Amino acid sequence: MAEQVKKWYPGEGKITPARVVLYLLVMLGAVSALIRLFFGLGATTNLSDAYPWGLWISFDVLAGVALAGGGFTMAATIYIFNLKKFEPLLRPAKISAFLGYLLFIIGLTLDLGQPWRIWHPMIMWNPQSVLFEVAWCVMLYTAVLAIDVLILALERFRKEKLVQFFRQIYLVLVVAGIILSTLHQSSLGALYLLLPEKMSDLWASQAIGPLFFVSAIIGGMSMIILESLLSARAYGRQPEMNILPDFARGLSIVLIAYFAMKVTDIYARGVNVLVWDRPHFFFLVELVGTVGLPALLLSLPAVRHSEKGLLTGAGIAAFGVVLNRFNVSLTSYGGYREFSYFPSFFEIIITLSLVAGGILLFDFLTRNLPVYHELTRESG
Amino acid sequence: MSKAMLIDTTKCIGCRACQVACKSWNDLPGEPAAYSETWSSPRYLSSHQYTRIIFREAAAPDGSLRWHFIKRQCMHCLDPACESVCPVGALKRLPEGPVVYDDGRCIGCRYCMMACPFQIPKFEWGKAVPLIRKCTFCAERQAEGLAPACASTCPTGALLFGEREELLREARHRLGTAPERYYPQVYGDRIVGGTSKLYLTAASFEELGLNHRGFRTDLGEVPYGIYGRAWMSKVPLVALTVGGLAVGLHYLNRRLAAVQARQGDKEG
Ligand code: SF4
Ligand code: SF4
Repeated sequence: MAEQVKKWYPGEGKITPARVVLYLLVMLGAVSALIRLFFGLGATTNLSDAYPWGLWISFDVLAGVALAGGGFTMAATIYIFNLKKFEPLLRPAKISAFLGYLLFIIGLTLDLGQPWRIWHPMIMWNPQSVLFEVAWCVMLYTAVLAIDVLILALERFRKEKLVQFFRQIYLVLVVAGIILSTLHQSSLGALYLLLPEKMSDLWASQAIGPLFFVSAIIGGMSMIILESLLSARAYGRQPEMNILPDFARGLSIVLIAYFAMKVTDIYARGVNVLVWDRPHFFFLVELVGTVGLPALLLSLPAVRHSEKGLLTGAGIAAFGVVLNRFNVSLTSYGGYREFSYFPSFFEIIITLSLVAGGILLFDFLTRNLPVYHELTRESG
Repeated sequence: MSKAMLIDTTKCIGCRACQVACKSWNDLPGEPAAYSETWSSPRYLSSHQYTRIIFREAAAPDGSLRWHFIKRQCMHCLDPACESVCPVGALKRLPEGPVVYDDGRCIGCRYCMMACPFQIPKFEWGKAVPLIRKCTFCAERQAEGLAPACASTCPTGALLFGEREELLREARHRLGTAPERYYPQVYGDRIVGGTSKLYLTAASFEELGLNHRGFRTDLGEVPYGIYGRAWMSKVPLVALTVGGLAVGLHYLNRRLAAVQARQGDKEG
């Protein structure tokens, strides 16, 4: 039975400097978003005809979706592979996946030239477009995640009947979520299948779809570990050190598989990696530093069983996924014309504010929904 | 049969009448002249500049310098990458040849700009309600039986408008009768599956230094849309497989766990 608590964690409700910074960022971001909407993309971003896609696509869309891959990864772990001992990690993963997609949709909306037409793919179809498929999958998957969060809310407010109903169809939701995630996570990579001529050989691979999919699993798993450790710190809880090391072992196995895929891909296409220029430097950092290194670290029991070790390993792995998305979309694309791109103040602020908003919402939802076992607020 | 344009750059004198005709037919705003290092003006295509003449000075094999004037605009591909990537079907190739854009559909994702192998679609960056802009091959004029504005204006006959098959024959004929005049290739004949704009040049695009400025020669003969279509054709199968595996494994693993639990009970 969950103990009844008034305060979630010792500092709940206190206004800490960190909180102030987060709120300020969100406010700045909201103002920037309005300016962006009223004055257009040219006035507020450094995007151009030479660089149609920039920071928002690289981070908010590509990296954001990959890092929010924890939702389907955890669902598969628990319901498909029946590894019930990891259950305590499931609910936070659902919350963060939902928020990840929510923020990604806000980011994408601001990136679209005509945000108010975001619903167009629903009725205007082009079944040969990979982006059309991504649009549909993301839409449906976000709906699945929203139902997930809704179920938590129903639990909190004790609508037993409805909860019962959703429990019955839950397997359908899980399977739908896994199918949709498999499709759009890999298809985000497949977007780049059509522009090999504009990309560096290092990333322009026909295998980019499967590579994106596996790295999304890495993104999801490492974020789950990071969230568990960081939220434990923030809330003065004990992190789940009884299960995290085993979970991290799983992550290290996926990292090793991904490393092998990347190396095979490069080798099979006969790409020379030992050249000294910017793309090659970033490629080697990505492959060795952010895939190989965490794979090695997390395969060591001593590292897995220490909080610091987990934090480092999962942190590098998550960073590696972000780096990969930037590499595919910007490093790789660079140098095609005599232009360069660096995000503008507005682009950076809006991206930061999305992250800040995500943290605040995560905090709000975990406080108000039955997410962590030991912190369940009873409501009468 | 679809319409095409044969651009014989050896006949072009760089007068840029076509640029002006394009602007006035499409009602595009003028802009302050800005010259490239080689005196092309304007320097880039943009949402209000659908075509431009690129000026190039290059050395002939005998060492003498000569000018080349290369018209650039949408190639009106036979199987356009832009059409295949657009998530809402805003870009469409008409059977008559032109690749046209529907203002009412576009959501502004700019995937077409990323995917076009010739970097043609341009975005109205300055507007709060922006659209994609590019050469339309004067589809409305063609519908009325008229030639595109640029071709009707060209004083030297460098821009020949007609049936694609006929123009290809004409191009090969020219290559055959005056081999000293041309680099032996019709650009647009087969590149990315063929385009409606066919080029004859006096030198290769490498020699002109344009192969990385809109006239790539390493694109191959496969239309890029094929990669997207191949991916999309696998989607139903992947969905079914993943779904089937997920359901199967779910029951299998549950059963395994139940059996294990029972065995545990017996032993314990
Ligand atoms: S040149 Fe580019 S914009 Fe024009 S039809 Fe081909 S792919 Fe589309
Ligand atoms: S920017 Fe418009 S025309 Fe281009 S791909 Fe996106 S929706 Fe289609």
